[in-house]
This record gives sequence, structure tokens and C-alpha cells, in this order.
Amino acid sequence: MPDVKKKKEVEEKSVAAARPSSHAIWSGTLSFGLVNIPVELHSAARGRQTSMRMVDADGNPLGRQYVSSSDGGELEGSEIVRAHELGEGEMVMVSDEELEEIAPDKSRDIDLRRFVPLEQIPPMHFERPYFMLPASESTKAYHLLAQTLAETGQAGIGTFVMRGHEYLVAILGDGGILRAETLRHADELRSAEDVGLPAIAKAPAKRVKALGDAIDALTESSLAVEELRDDYAESLRALAEAKAERGEGVVEIADGDEESEPEEEGGRVLDLMKLLKERLSAKAEVSTADEDGAAPKKRSEGGAKSGGAKNGDGKNGGAKGDDAQDASLSGLSKDALYEKAQALDIAGRSKMAKADLVKAIRAAS
Amino acid sequence: MARAMWKGRIQLGEHEVPVKMYSAIEPQKVQFRLVHGEELSPVSQKIVRKSDGEEVPSAERLKAYPLPSGVSVILTREDLAKVEPTKSRDIALCRFVPSALLSDQWYDRPYFLGPDGDEEAYFALAQALEQKGVEGIARWVMRNKRYVGSLQAVGGYLMLVTLRRADQVVAVHNVEVPKARQPDAKELKMAEQLVAMLEGDFEPAEWKDEYRERLQSLIEAKSRGETFSVEAPRKLRAKGDLAEALEQSLNAAKEKKVA
Repeated sequence: MPDVKKKKEVEEKSVAAARPSSHAIWSGTLSFGLVNIPVELHSAARGRQTSMRMVDADGNPLGRQYVSSSDGGELEGSEIVRAHELGEGEMVMVSDEELEEIAPDKSRDIDLRRFVPLEQIPPMHFERPYFMLPASESTKAYHLLAQTLAETGQAGIGTFVMRGHEYLVAILGDGGILRAETLRHADELRSAEDVGLPAIAKAPAKRVKALGDAIDALTESSLAVEELRDDYAESLRALAEAKAERGEGVVEIADGDEESEPEEEGGRVLDLMKLLKERLSAKAEVSTADEDGAAPKKRSEGGAKSGGAKNGDGKNGGAKGDDAQDASLSGLSKDALYEKAQALDIAGRSKMAKADLVKAIRAAS
Repeated sequence: MARAMWKGRIQLGEHEVPVKMYSAIEPQKVQFRLVHGEELSPVSQKIVRKSDGEEVPSAERLKAYPLPSGVSVILTREDLAKVEPTKSRDIALCRFVPSALLSDQWYDRPYFLGPDGDEEAYFALAQALEQKGVEGIARWVMRNKRYVGSLQAVGGYLMLVTLRRADQVVAVHNVEVPKARQPDAKELKMAEQLVAMLEGDFEPAEWKDEYRERLQSLIEAKSRGETFSVEAPRKLRAKGDLAEALEQSLNAAKEKKVA
């Protein structure tokens, strides 16, 4: 018989010790039956690699400044509040506290009231992916849920409130962790009828077959990641590199001035690496599909095998053990290496050539 | 009847299917504006030089691409024009994959496609996709931007859902759970039982956005100078360790089913 009292004390202590990390966009409790798991959400989608910094002709960085529309005076963040505009210009101010108070439960809890087969959720509902990390040091319940969801292929459905909006969310087990995908509410999606599409007409079998044959000719059981690469980002980078080589338009923008074009939240996903190692496992890694060179994962399969069994192409794919990881470094783009170096906090990384980055990362990891 | 936002032609081998595109999203979120001061006057933004706070007119704003080496390169309008995609009405299909091959993380925004003339070709393609159980990987250029998307049959109609790019989709690997934190067989079994008891179909219409209604009530109450508050429901807490909490959860779920 375990010493219940003592165990409970330990659990409470570790919850108290939990500190939401700076990049968490929400933190609260995930409820699975009467089991409560303290968690926090981090973005699992990066902004596109096409964001640039706004500068003047001399390369001085530009930024946004809030001004009052009545007198043009500059405003600090603390002077600005949120308001909803009712008809005829009437403004009603709402504070962050009020937004939370009207949903005290949903602002802090995600209660998994229903479980559904993951492949049953139509893709048009998928809005944004997040990683859900444990926010306390006792992670047993977290692992239990992640493993159960991965093995059963089920997703837990619940709702939560963040920054004045309610989100419907699917919680799934993926690669040993929990992931949250926000879902569009039913009334946020139009139907074919709403759009005004014509009534469905059965097409002649001959024509369906002709198109079916054309589809068969192009059907593969997997998808190479090349087909989902960002060509535009690559051509932008090539353009910038060519200009840099000719010494044209090169400017130094003081380090620490990180403000670029407004990026989607969570551009700094790779800061997650440190958190993952602290809270989950020393080996945990974060990478993009691009760096993996692996085919996109199947939605209807449990995620538990995702670390190993992937349809990789060549040296970047396959099992990602330490050795495979080492060998694959040289196959990464310089950008990807730089980000790894950044995550490992390698000094002098901005001046390193590709080969030096590989060496430094190997030494540090 | 919604207005089409774009017209294009699906290209599949020798076949061509002319389509009109419509947003499938109906925004419902309560909108907020940034305001300031007692009078709640709207806030606007201006673009300033960070060093001296001077406003910079849009004609003088340029973009700099940050290179991994730490320096940035200014890309002029002429430079950017060079990498602009060629204008086209084609939606090119070069690959089909089994439905549900892509994980949720790839999907971004859904659009309905409707027939633009040849209705027979449109419905034939939707029916062929349905029969084959596949989705198509589509590329197209719309309003000077390149898109990648997934072409699917949804309820007998064609839908195009834009996809995120490979470097946007982030995954976690090699999470090894320390022995002490690994759930045991009994706990796993109870967790699976609990999932099974709460299992059902995905019925999005059952999940109403209650918060939106409360928020509207709050705003209306405030505009009348009244207050609006909601009491926090008491949260049930399990006693004991994980296994005991699971057992209590199972019992509670059973009671609910009977009641």
C-alpha cells in the first residue's frame, strides 16, 4: 500500500514549483476524468521563413509605434486597453481580468469530456497546432495520457479560453508528448449551401473513371517533403545570398534588435528544446519536417513511433539515434544548423562557416 | 450566395476542371480594438525609425533579409519583383496521397471550390477523389503569391485546404520517459477504459461557443452601466495517487452513464 499522504505532499510541492516558461502562450490544467495535469501550450508552427526586417534606405531598423488617433501623441503599452465597438461608435472597454472572470473554469482548465478517433476530424476544422508540455515535475499522469492517446488513436476534445476567445481543441498523443490542435467551431465554417454551390449531380461513370485513372497515375503511398518545401523562401534566400556575395545592400542590424515583420506567434519554437530536455527527457529534440527530410506523418496512426519509423529520404531520414543525428548534420542547410547552434547557445555562431557549425554542434550536443 | 474570391483551372493530366474559389471560413469571434484613455479613443500605428523615433513614409520603407551569418541584405522592390511568381490560373496537381496521410499540423485554411461552367467535370472529379480515398497536392499562384494545398472531396464537393510549408511544421523526437515516470500496466488499462467510456463521434455542432455569448452579455451589461459576473464552478478533485484517481474517475463516469 503506498503512502498516500506522503505522495500527495510531493505532488503538491511539484505543482507549486512549476513556473510557466516565458514562451508559453497559455497555462492551466488538463482534466482527464478526475486526473488533473498541469500543462502549458507552446506553438508547434513557425512563421514562414520569408519574414524580413523593415529598414530605411541606410539599413536603420524601423518599428511600429502606437499613437493616439485623437491627438497623434505616442502611447506606451500600458496606456492601451482592449474595447469592443458596439453600434454607432460606442466603445466598451474590457480588461484582461474581466475576460477571464466570465469563464473562470475555461480560462484555467481544459476538460476532456469526449474522445473521438483522430481520423474522424475533417481537416477543415484544424486551425493551429501547439505542443502541450507538462508544467510540473510530476509527469506520470502526463505520460499516461500521451501513451494512451497514441495507442488508441483517439483525440480528447475540450474547450478553453485564451485572450478573450474560446477555442475548441483536440488533444492528441504524438511522439511521446501531448499535442493540442485548435479546431474551428462548427459555426465558423461555411457549408456548401452557405456558399451557394449547385446541387450535387451524379457524373457519368465514364468521366469519373477517366479522372480516376489520371489520379491513379499520380498516386503514391507517401509524400516526399520536397513537395512541401517553401520555394519562395528559398528563392528569397538565394537572392539575398547572391547580393551579399557581391557586397550589395549588406547592412548590420544591431543584435538583440529582434523585431522583424510581425510574425505569427511562436516563431521561436526552437527555444522549446531546453524545456523539453528539462521536463521530459534529456534526449528530446525539436526539428521541422524540412530538417527531418521525412515524409509527413500519417494522421490515423498513433504517434508513438514517430521518432523512428519514418519514410525518410537518404541520410536525413530513418532512425534518429545519436549516430544518425550526427551524420545528418552535414545534410542540413546552414540556416537549420544555425538554429541548432542557437538552441545550444554556441558562442560565435554568427561568424561560423557551415563546416564549423557542424563541428561545434557535434561538440556541444 | 457568396461571391467567388478567385477563379482557376484544375490541371490533372490531360483533364481541365474550371473552378471558382470561396472562403470556407465564417469569422465569428468577437472583435476587439485597441483604445486608450478615458475617452476610449482608437489607437493607430505609425512606422518609425527606432533610433530617433522619426516617422518613415511607406515609400522609404525597405525590407532586409536576415542571413544566418548575422548580416542582413536589403532587397529592393526591383529585387523582389525578380522572385515574384508568374501569373497563372492553373491549379496544378502533381501528386495524390491517401486521405489522412498528412497530420493535422500541415492544414491551414479551407476553401470551397465550385464549378465554373463545366459542372460535369467538377462533380466527376469530386466523385473520383471520393472513390479513390485520396487527396491531391495542389500548387497554384493567387494574387501574386504561391500556394500549396490539399484538394479533397468533402460531402460531394471539392475543397482546397492550404498547407503549411515543410519548415513551418515542428515535431518533437526522442522523448524517452524515465522509468520512474512510466505508467504501469494497470494504470494504462484504466486510462484506456476511461477513454473508451468517454468515446463518441466527432460532432462539432455539439460544441457551442458559450464564451462568445457570455462575452456579449458582459459587453451589453457594461454598456448599460451594469455588472455581469459568473460564478466559478467547484472542481472535483480526486484523492490519492494516479491509480486511485483513475479508479475514482471510472466510477464517476459509470455513474454518469447510468444517470
